[in-house]
Amino acid sequence: MRRVRPALAAGAIAALTALTVSGCGSDGLSAPRLQDSISSTFAHLYVLQQAEQGNPQPSLRSLHSHASCQRGTPGTAQDGPGTWLCLITYYVAGPAYPVVAKYKVDVQTDGCYAADGDGPASVNGSTTITGPHYRQLVNPLSLVDGCFDYT
Amino acid sequence: MFACRTPGLPTVSGVTEPALAVEARGMTKWYGETTALDAVDLLVRPGIIHGVLGPNGAGKTTLLAALFGLVTPEEGTLRLFGRSRAESGAGWLDGVGGFVETPRFYPYLTGRQNLSVLAGLDGGDAAGLVDGAIELVGLDAAASRKRVRGYSLGMRQRLGLAAAVLRRPRLLILDEPANGMDPAGIRDLRTALRQLARGGRTIILSSHDMGQVEEICDSVTVLHRGRVVFTGGLDVMRGDAPDGTWRLFTSDDEAALTEAGAADEVKAARRDEGGLTVHAAQDKLDAYVLALGRQGIAVRGLEPDVTALESLFFQLTRDAEAPAPEETP
Amino acid sequence: MTLAAGRWPAAVPPAGAAPQRSGTLVVYRMELAKLSRQIRVRTIAVCAVIGPFLVVAGFHVQNATPGDTAFGQWVHTSGFAIPMVILGFAAQWIIPGLTALVAGDIFSAEDHFGTWKTVLTRSRSRSQFFTGKFLAAVSYGLALAVILIVTDLLAGLLAGTQPVVALGGQLVPAGHAATLEVLSYASEIPPLLAFTAVGIMLSVLTRSSVAGIGGVIALTFVLQVVTLIDLPGWLQVALPSTPFLAWHGFWEQPAFCTAFWWGLVTSAAWFVVCGGVSWWVFRRRTIGVAA
Repeated sequence: MRRVRPALAAGAIAALTALTVSGCGSDGLSAPRLQDSISSTFAHLYVLQQAEQGNPQPSLRSLHSHASCQRGTPGTAQDGPGTWLCLITYYVAGPAYPVVAKYKVDVQTDGCYAADGDGPASVNGSTTITGPHYRQLVNPLSLVDGCFDYT
Repeated sequence: MFACRTPGLPTVSGVTEPALAVEARGMTKWYGETTALDAVDLLVRPGIIHGVLGPNGAGKTTLLAALFGLVTPEEGTLRLFGRSRAESGAGWLDGVGGFVETPRFYPYLTGRQNLSVLAGLDGGDAAGLVDGAIELVGLDAAASRKRVRGYSLGMRQRLGLAAAVLRRPRLLILDEPANGMDPAGIRDLRTALRQLARGGRTIILSSHDMGQVEEICDSVTVLHRGRVVFTGGLDVMRGDAPDGTWRLFTSDDEAALTEAGAADEVKAARRDEGGLTVHAAQDKLDAYVLALGRQGIAVRGLEPDVTALESLFFQLTRDAEAPAPEETP
Repeated sequence: MTLAAGRWPAAVPPAGAAPQRSGTLVVYRMELAKLSRQIRVRTIAVCAVIGPFLVVAGFHVQNATPGDTAFGQWVHTSGFAIPMVILGFAAQWIIPGLTALVAGDIFSAEDHFGTWKTVLTRSRSRSQFFTGKFLAAVSYGLALAVILIVTDLLAGLLAGTQPVVALGGQLVPAGHAATLEVLSYASEIPPLLAFTAVGIMLSVLTRSSVAGIGGVIALTFVLQVVTLIDLPGWLQVALPSTPFLAWHGFWEQPAFCTAFWWGLVTSAAWFVVCGGVSWWVFRRRTIGVAA
C-alpha cells in the first residue's frame, strides 16, 4: 500500500493537469446562458433601483433588456470561467433610445458571477444611490451577483 | 486479595449441558508468512480448569482470541456449548466472559462508569451487578470512582475480571490473568478460580509459566510455534515427566555428594552459590533424603528448582527436531 | 482489600434473561451517551448556538460589507442576507470539518484505546456495532444541521426582517425569504452526510483519528483547489463538495433545482460507497491481537 500511494498521487496530479490544459472544460459556462441570466437579473435590479429612488417603475417587459457577453479577448474560447465583458442594452424611453450598461463580469466555475458596473455613471457608476428623504442606499446595479445552471 | 468463600455456590443445573464446553477443531490462522495456529484442537469438558501453555509467541493469545471471535481462523470449526457462531449470531457469546491480553477500558471514564457502559451493552439486569462485581474482584471502592487512565496493571486485571463477572459466565476465558499481580494476588486468584470451577463453571486460562498453573489446572494444552505438542490431564503429564530438579542444602555437602553417588538414580552436583543441585524422581529423592538422615547428614533446605512438569514443558517447547508425544483426554 | 463472602452471580441459562431490546439500538444509545460526555462535542454545540449571533453582532458593529460573496452587499440592508453570507462561506469550509470531528474518530477511538476487544467480546455482533456507531455519527451531523438552521434563522431575524435582494435581482419579502433560507440550509444535509461517510471510511481504513479527521479537512482543501480548475461538467457534479452550492438555484429568478437534484444523487453515491467500503473492511478485520 505504501508503494501505491505516491503513484496514485502522481497519477491524480497528471490527470488534473491534463484536464486543465486540454481545454475540455464545462460547456455549461457559455455565453448564451450568461447573457440570459445577467439580462434578466439586470432588469429586475433596474426596476428595484428606480423604485428606491422614488421614480416610476417600468415593467420588466418594457425594458427589453438584452445582454451581449464576450469572454476575454477575441480569439479566446467563449466558454468557461474567467473575466467576461457584458454589454446590456435596454429601453427606457422606447426602442428609439437604447441605453447600454457595461459590466466587467467575473464568472466562477460553479456558474455564479459577480458583475462590476463599468458605466454609464448614472446607472452603475457609484455604489450608493439617494433615496427619498436623502437616505443613502446601496445601488443595486453597481454590483450584480447571480448564478446560472451550468449542468 | 481474592478470598471467595462462597459455600452455597449454585451449580448450573436444569440445563442440558452439551458434552463439551469448548470444541475447537483444526484451527489454523496465518498472518502473511507467519503461521500463528497450525491445526490446533482444543476440547474442553464443562466444569474443569484447562490451561493453555506455551512460550511467548506460541499462539496462546491467538487461540483465545479465536474463541472470542476476534480473530477469524482460515480453517477450523469452533463450537461453544455446542453452538457455532454462524448458527447463534450475536448471542453466541452468551454466558462466555473473559479477556484477551491486558484488559483495556475507556481512560476518560472511571472504573465504575466503564462497567456501567459494558453492563448497558449486555442488557438485562447486568447493571445491578456492577457493585457486586467490583467488590468481588477486590477493587477498592474509592479507586473504582477514579478514571481508568490512572490505574495500575493489577487494577486493570481486576477490572477485567469484574467485566467478565457481569456476564454471569459459564465459561471464563482468561489470557495470562496473573500478569502484573504479586504472589499474594496470584494465590488468591487461584483460590477464586478453584471456587468457580467447583460451581460447575469452565475456566480456560493461558500462561507461559508452568509452575503457576500446575497447582490449579486439571488439564492443559501445550502450544509451541502454533502447534499442539501436548494435550491431556496433568496426571498423564506427570507420568511422562522427566525427573525434577531440586536445590539441597545440608550440614555436610561433601558427604551428601558421596551418598548421591551411591544412591539409586540420583544425580547431584555442587552449586556455585552453595548447596547442591539434585536431579531425581520424587520417590528416589525421598529415599535419598532418608538415607542422608541415617548417615547423620541433616537436610537444612530442600526446594524445587524446576518441577517435573516444568522440565517436561521446557522439553516440549524447546526448538528441537524430535516430535513430542501427543495424547487426547 | 479483602472480600469475605462475596456472592458470585448465579449463572443463568442463555434463554432465561429478560427480553432484549434491539442490539443496534443498545449500541446506538451507548455511543450517544459517550458522545455527549466528550468535551469537543459540547464545545461544538455551544459554538453552533452562539456563533451566528456573534456574527450578526459583528456586522452590526462595523460598516464594512463583505465584497466578494453573494448577498454580501446586502448585509446592512436586510437581516436575511447575513445567514446567507454565513452559509456561502461556512458551508464548504466548516461543515465537513465539524462532522469529521465525530465521524473521523468514532471508530478509530476504539483502536486508539484498544477497547475493541473489550466491547466485541460481549453478546453484540460486529454489524450491530457498525450500525450503531454509524447512526450515532449521522445523528450528530443531523443535530448539528438542525441547530445551525434554527440559530441562523433567529440571528438573522434579530438583525432585521426587511425584504432581501435575491440572486435573480428580485426583491423577496420576509416570509418567502425565511422559507428559502431554511431550504438552503436544509439542502446542506445530503453533502454533510456524504462527508460523514467519508470520515467514517477514512477512520475505519486507517484506524487513526488523526487520519480520519485530518483526512476530511485535507480533502476539503483539495476540493477547494480543484474547483478553481475548469473541469468538465460531469466531473464537477461528481465532487462531494459541489452539492453544498446547490442552494444558489433556489434564489434565482426563475428558480432552478437541477443542481439540487444532481447534488442529492452525488451525495447519496458518496454516502453509499464510503459506507459500504467501511462496512466491508470492518467486518473482516482482525481485532488488534498480537500475532
